[in-house]
Amino acid sequence: VAEEEVPVILLVDDEEMILDSIKSFLAIDADYKLLAYTSPKKAIEDIESMKRVDLIISDYLMPEMDGISFLSEVKKRFPLIPRILLTGYADKENAIKAINNVGLYQYIEKPWNNDDLRLIIRNGLEKTRLLNQLEEKIREVEKVHKELADVHKEILRVFV
Amino acid sequence: MVPDESVGVSEPLNLLIAGLAHELNTPLGAINSNNDTMSRAIEKIQELLQEKVGVPEETRVAASRLVGILEDVCRTTSIATERLIGIVGSLRTFARLDEAELKKADIHEGIESTLMIIHHQLRDRIVVEKQFGDLPLVECYAGRLNQVFLNLLVNATQAIPDRGKIVIRTSRARDMVRIAISDNGVGIPAENISKIFSPGFTTKGVGVGTGLGLSICYRIVQDHHGTIHFDSGHGTTTFTVELPLRQRKKVQRG
Repeated sequence: VAEEEVPVILLVDDEEMILDSIKSFLAIDADYKLLAYTSPKKAIEDIESMKRVDLIISDYLMPEMDGISFLSEVKKRFPLIPRILLTGYADKENAIKAINNVGLYQYIEKPWNNDDLRLIIRNGLEKTRLLNQLEEKIREVEKVHKELADVHKEILRVFV
Repeated sequence: MVPDESVGVSEPLNLLIAGLAHELNTPLGAINSNNDTMSRAIEKIQELLQEKVGVPEETRVAASRLVGILEDVCRTTSIATERLIGIVGSLRTFARLDEAELKKADIHEGIESTLMIIHHQLRDRIVVEKQFGDLPLVECYAGRLNQVFLNLLVNATQAIPDRGKIVIRTSRARDMVRIAISDNGVGIPAENISKIFSPGFTTKGVGVGTGLGLSICYRIVQDHHGTIHFDSGHGTTTFTVELPLRQRKKVQRG
């Protein structure tokens, strides 16, 4: 698999042990590039220079900023990619707030089940892939459309 | 005799428990995930051992034995983790911070999660007999009702000096549900009967009881427009809580 084909997952959790667990879990499964951060602020700083992110997983309760604020910041830079909240703080009100405000793709509670998380990640990445494909197709259609318009203009110019 | 500040006393406990559950979920999440990853890795090693030619038979046997040990360890860790997840889940159900509003709740679920919390006080010492009737959902503040069950059950365990039995009966009577908790402990002496729901009244030593438990129960049940009463004699003490299925008007919060 070429370097640029490997899906990029951005993971933020203030607990190193969660980053390590997910890193190991992803490593055994497939080819992913994992960008792991314990600091959401640092992740936001770095995100400007990131060329590609296919999926984001964020913790909810973090000392610097909460997961919902973090995800809304990331949304500005990468509006289309799936955003997942992984939280140990089970609280329906916050879940609803998160889903409504940020447009969450999934809400997962700690302790999570690896099989569930695997499926959610795969589906999320598939969604990103399809969206990218769609964007590309739209660009192609627009290009062809523009070419047609040019031909149309040319015909008019010649015959009229 | 009716306490005023009682509800304020019960909420911090719920907050504490919910906070604790949250704190536990992070390490628990890591352990649970790591154990799953480990058993997957072991599975792959096992496959490699079978497939790869050129592995000396002696090495293959020794490695397989080690892999077998690892598989056993992973299985045990998995069972242990499941149990922890169950306990933390009960703590969350008990605290019910996400249900700070009036909602229809399963009374039996509340009792079960409370029993899980006092599990260590019961152990082999006290047998709990559940005689659960067919109950509809009850409109209530579930987290606060669990406080009532906790207080009554803890009192019951403390009333039993050695070995004994607690019986929990639930039943429906028209538009009410009845929850009765009985113990065959030391009972309540006649001179204490009038003081039992008063805040600060305790027969337990310093550090055992705050004397607030039953006054909190009284207040919470009253807030739900229910009743709480007790009966002690002939070797059995029973506290009975009756609650309406629906709240006529908004329950006053403490």
